[in-house]
Amino acid sequence: MNIPNPSTAPNATEYAGDEVSAIVLDPGYNTTRAGFAGEDVPKSVVPTFYGQINSDARPQYYFGENAIHNPKGNLQIKNPWGSDGIVEDWETATKVWEYAITSRLTGPKAGDPVKNGLNDANGGAMDVDMEALDNREKPLEDSPLLMTEPGWNSTKAREKYIEIAMEEWGTPAFYLQKTGVLAAFASGKASGIIIDVGASTTSVTPVLDGMVLKKGVQKSPLAGNFVSNQIRLIFKQSQPEIPLTPHYMVASKTQVDAGAPAQATYKTFDVPPADSFRQHEEERVLTEFKESVVEVWPGPGRFSNGTNEEIAKAQPGRPFEMPDGWNQVFGVERYKAAEALFDAGAAIHDADNPRPKDDQTIPHLIKAAVQQVDADQRPLLLSNIVVTGGSTLLYKFNDRLNYEINALYPSTRNKLIAPGPVVERKYAAWIGGSILASLGSFHQLWISRKEYEEHGANIVEKRCR
Amino acid sequence: MPPFKDEQIIIIAPGSGTTVAQLGLPESFTPPRLRLRSCMFPAEKEGEWEPYKVRRRMDKLPERPPATQEEAQEINDMKKSLGEPDEDEIIYEEDTVSEEGAVWPIQEGKIVNWPCFFALITHVYNAMNPPFHTPILLIAQPAWTPREHEKLTQFFFEKFKTPAFGLMDSALATSWAYGVHTSTVVDVGKGKVDVTAVSEFLPHIQGRVVALADCGGEALTQGLLAKLKSKGFNRDMCEQLKKNAICEILPAGTPLPGTGEVSGEDTVTNPAAAASTGAPGSGPAAASAIGNAPRGPGADTEVGDEANGDDENEGVLDVASIVAGGKMNEYLARKEKEKQEKAAAKKKGIEAPVPPTKPVRLPNSKRERATFMYEDHVLLDTLKNMNLGSKGIAEAQAALDEGPQKKSQDAQDGTSEPKSAVDAHGSTDAATSASRTGPIRREIEVGVERFQAASGGVLETIADAIHRTISSVEEVNKRSELWDSLIICGNGSRIRGFKDALMAVLQSKYLISPSSATIFTSEIPSNISTPAGTGANTPQPQLGLHGGSSQVNPLLLAATTAQNPHLMPPGGNPLLPGMPSSHSTHSSHGQTPTSIKFVKPPEYFPEWKDVGYDEAAFLGAQVAAKVIFVVDQGQSKGYMTRPDYNDQGPTGIHDYSL
Repeated sequence: MNIPNPSTAPNATEYAGDEVSAIVLDPGYNTTRAGFAGEDVPKSVVPTFYGQINSDARPQYYFGENAIHNPKGNLQIKNPWGSDGIVEDWETATKVWEYAITSRLTGPKAGDPVKNGLNDANGGAMDVDMEALDNREKPLEDSPLLMTEPGWNSTKAREKYIEIAMEEWGTPAFYLQKTGVLAAFASGKASGIIIDVGASTTSVTPVLDGMVLKKGVQKSPLAGNFVSNQIRLIFKQSQPEIPLTPHYMVASKTQVDAGAPAQATYKTFDVPPADSFRQHEEERVLTEFKESVVEVWPGPGRFSNGTNEEIAKAQPGRPFEMPDGWNQVFGVERYKAAEALFDAGAAIHDADNPRPKDDQTIPHLIKAAVQQVDADQRPLLLSNIVVTGGSTLLYKFNDRLNYEINALYPSTRNKLIAPGPVVERKYAAWIGGSILASLGSFHQLWISRKEYEEHGANIVEKRCR
Repeated sequence: MPPFKDEQIIIIAPGSGTTVAQLGLPESFTPPRLRLRSCMFPAEKEGEWEPYKVRRRMDKLPERPPATQEEAQEINDMKKSLGEPDEDEIIYEEDTVSEEGAVWPIQEGKIVNWPCFFALITHVYNAMNPPFHTPILLIAQPAWTPREHEKLTQFFFEKFKTPAFGLMDSALATSWAYGVHTSTVVDVGKGKVDVTAVSEFLPHIQGRVVALADCGGEALTQGLLAKLKSKGFNRDMCEQLKKNAICEILPAGTPLPGTGEVSGEDTVTNPAAAASTGAPGSGPAAASAIGNAPRGPGADTEVGDEANGDDENEGVLDVASIVAGGKMNEYLARKEKEKQEKAAAKKKGIEAPVPPTKPVRLPNSKRERATFMYEDHVLLDTLKNMNLGSKGIAEAQAALDEGPQKKSQDAQDGTSEPKSAVDAHGSTDAATSASRTGPIRREIEVGVERFQAASGGVLETIADAIHRTISSVEEVNKRSELWDSLIICGNGSRIRGFKDALMAVLQSKYLISPSSATIFTSEIPSNISTPAGTGANTPQPQLGLHGGSSQVNPLLLAATTAQNPHLMPPGGNPLLPGMPSSHSTHSSHGQTPTSIKFVKPPEYFPEWKDVGYDEAAFLGAQVAAKVIFVVDQGQSKGYMTRPDYNDQGPTGIHDYSL
């Protein structure tokens, strides 16, 4: 065998010649996940929200965690995703995704190889191919890309994905896969029902042998943001109203008694940020509230059933302190915030926030999804119910889900697969993508640049099902 | 491959402002031996770089006498000759002090100019003059991306033919230095701040705040500049003021001297305490500030007593432009006149009654005004560019310098007022070591602006970043430990009072105080009526219904276990039916932080203890280098060897990084 001499440099073709690490991009409503295939967590998790300041000439955009929490004057916080779970603003979505890839993975575009110093050791000038220089301008010039998409993505949107990847980023190969399939892969399953409760959308996707049953895909807006909204309504309808002040408004807080009005010193801004900024910052407080106070009624029965509410009252409350120092113990209210995910009738509603429809709740979604599956396949799917998405981390969410599914299908063996580590629950689709893109067979799946140039963007419909 | 030895190991820690490095690990770990500015100067030939500014000189004098800075001493021995002048008449000289035209390849932690960066690393490497078979450990900034790690790996293997190379995250290195497995590392650099939650020796990559702009040492300088611009200060002056001990960040709510009406009373009631605790330039903080201000050559803390408001410098701070404009002699003449007037005034003043408040030396934070020595590099540059020849430069310098040499002469004359021990010590020290070619020093006075470096909201922004970082850690139960182990490091945090002020902001904005609603009484579940005196409705253990309940008063049990669910006996609380006993999975439910603490720095490295732990990442890297290269010999894949590199190429580094 030819063992390389340790003291000599290898040929360029000798090492890792055919092993190019693909980049996996999993865009979501709240965060955009990106990383190298083969790794166990995405290295880059950036907020999908972006900041915008409209100046006279043209709007100024701000990306990344640091920028969007900085209370700049007139700063608006926006999101490129539409309420239907499909990208709406393609221009900025591209920028956000590109930021996710370049800021933490690849770095800014590589310089001209003649000058970037890497070749200094070899010495001597080399011929510069001007075409190669042009390609260098693009961030993904040498990495194949795997992107994830929601199960209900439109044809137009899918074509747009490959266009961005090929035209704007210059990727040599591209593949698109649905989040549901990838989340199932992450749990080592090829078939199952994937319940994904994200920030803006809850979806239920039946997957059979690695293929999404497209007509079975169900989605609804009852997800994390909906729960946040319910908490806002709880605060609003409470007597007296509970003030929600985000951190950036407070200069310093003073300890006050429970329920007493806050005595904080507030900050003043010459030019305050826009309302959307405040709303986004409030969301941080609500996230903390969800993590430390909110609890899903675990069953049996709905929260409103019989004596359940009485039992809940007996539970000890959980204290919560606002950024301005206001604090209170939340007793039975904390069960109400997430109850509407399962029981539309329990939703807190007012004039601006109408009661959700019954068929938007998670049990209804599951029922509708399973109905689309052949009867003989149902037991298989029901024994592989994969739970993913950040909002499934709500305390006791899985207990309740388990109860609801068993109530719907008492005769089958239903099994919930919910990864214990939080990271795996939150990034399941990305992890599945990382597995898929690191397989040897990924080469056979992807659409190469040549194929794209030959067939156009529509090839994505034929190749990525 | 022979095993590595302590004395072969190279550690390099590049930073935006300063790059430090060391060859060999001493018996007891010491602060880095080699300390360089992270900048290079473009050479005449494009694409080549020089470590120092190179000037043309017209006269034929030999090289300038050696400069006196610590920095210059360190690097003098490895000064390279620059090649023979090709034209007669032209002589090139290296200027080790000037920063004119410098290119700083690392900005806000990111490498922005790769050729320059590689040149800098090459310079650092050559400066250490290493033998063969030297493994290299590079401390990586959080802002560097994996692709950049690959690029660096390729560079180190191919340029230096190193037998082994390792990359270590700077936040992780810091936590190694402190010897803690879980910590929140706040690295305050030159142009940026990085906040990283390290849990169980694993940096939390997803939520870390990388390169938070406008928060580092440069932002503090700019904060001073914003306040002092109207008084004729320039950036350079503010930079030096910041490094001086008189510049301080006071905790929020502390009245500025001259504005707080009670500021004087403290010293009257307890002068001894004030003098012993707050004497400027004598506390440990100040001492460390003197000892290791990165590029502060001989920075002495001139906290003179001349707080009586002599305005001699007002309006003429920018001497450089005067000199450049050819008006140096006029300026000097005017200065001389002023000085004589002042001396005369002082003589008179001695006869006048001494102000009653004088005897107690006020702590710095109570003084309205203070002075510091400013080293005017711009002026020196200007002089050099005027091609005066070294004799001319020396003369001009002597005329313009108000530094300690002059002072000691004054002191001999007996015209100036008596100086404190600190001052006298500082000036004799400097006077003996300083030669005529040192920087031109002038005394500058500042008011309360020196306390307002962070008034631009720097501390709030950093505090918010810390909160965001810890909140993004998914394991909720790890968060309180992270809050209890804060580490603030980086040279940007050196300014006096920075850490305490940051802690004060964190405490006042984010600390969750115990809620008054959770004291004993309100814990009683509301469906239990208050026990009456008759004992009629005191809850009794209901054995039949719930089975297996303990004999403890259930009321007491409910109250004591409500906040600590994991204390509840298995099988559920008899009073709280329907509550499954799966609490152990969720034991740390609740808000954080309920307490915020700094990690205590390690004490077993005496050399480090003296200079402070602002560069703790380097200490951590020393520990790590010892472990991965010497103790462990590569078993835990802490570094990549040459054969590994040959097999896997640059991308393999991800399998080996710590």
